[in-house]
Amino acid sequence: MSLPDALRVVGLASQAEMALVRRDAVVGALLAQAARAAEGTPAGPLLSEAARLARAEPGREAVRQAALSLCRMGLQEAQADALGRPAGGVP
Amino acid sequence: MSGRLLGQDASVLAAAGADVGVLQEIEAWARRAVAVPGGTPIVDAHVHLGVDRDGHMLSAADLVADLDANAIDAAVAFPADEPGAGGDFRDANRRVIEAAAQYPGRIVPFCRLDPLRSPDAAMAEARDAGARGLKLHPVAQRFRPESAECIHVVRAATDLGWPVLFHAGFGARPLGPAFAGLIEAVPDCRIILAHGGRGDHRAVAAATAGHPGLLFDTSIASLPDLVTVPPERLAFGTDRPYGDYAQALHLVGTAARVAGWDAAAISAVLAGNLLRWIGPVAP
Repeated sequence: MSLPDALRVVGLASQAEMALVRRDAVVGALLAQAARAAEGTPAGPLLSEAARLARAEPGREAVRQAALSLCRMGLQEAQADALGRPAGGVP
Repeated sequence: MSGRLLGQDASVLAAAGADVGVLQEIEAWARRAVAVPGGTPIVDAHVHLGVDRDGHMLSAADLVADLDANAIDAAVAFPADEPGAGGDFRDANRRVIEAAAQYPGRIVPFCRLDPLRSPDAAMAEARDAGARGLKLHPVAQRFRPESAECIHVVRAATDLGWPVLFHAGFGARPLGPAFAGLIEAVPDCRIILAHGGRGDHRAVAAATAGHPGLLFDTSIASLPDLVTVPPERLAFGTDRPYGDYAQALHLVGTAARVAGWDAAAISAVLAGNLLRWIGPVAP
């Protein structure tokens, strides 16, 4: 993953993380964007599933928290790419 | 569908339409992200029990179920933000200490105080009941780490041999000068800065670099912060119920790969650094 691609995902996933924390309705759009930006990378499946959960039932607390966990893991994967980490595999 | 998934009731996630199979695969993958050296215990430095004013909640039974499901040996736990009518956390502290007694060897109880609300009596009560450390939250309880009131309780905790865990995440105030001031006032204190000090990591890391009694916990920390800290200054944590074990283990495993930690460093982060401060989980 190139540095610009990684930074794009980091930016979108960071915004989505805070939107999830704040229970902001914008989270669905942010996660969808992050998932598209991360397609084909280790962060992709994590952000894609977070986006799917957030669409499913965003008002339910357990769903929000599970989406938050997935979003944070996607963010961590993208940050690792930006930092030039050794490959860790795809979930 | 029963059990827990990403720290949540799996049946609730299933009812909401989650693909439980996919989530189970992701959770298992996240756990494998950290190469736990054989025989290494894992101790969570940061868990809230009870019902927080913001609605987050975790019972001791659910915590222990999460520990079992994720092969975590034990957790340091302290009250959520539920100070009670007197504002001194005495009832909440008592409940956490009772939970530790109910699950021996799984929960290490810390007490939580408000330095502005009868801290001496509340600390004495918690000490006598079995507390083994202190948690302070400058944002929730609205005090400054370098204030006279906070210095007073940190000095009292230090005299008891207790580590003090501070919230050091979300918040507007600069943390570098604050914790530098606290350390100057109580040079022998041992403090754990939660969330990798992400609220002001660069400044607080620089301001505390020479202080031997400082750990950053990894709960909901930022990866770029963790990989710039020597692993001997890190302690694994989750911030349950705000974080969960899959994400927390994935974070530590990813940091280990990026920073190139060896097995000894990973063991130290997962438990060794914290256990040197708190002693055996079951004293």
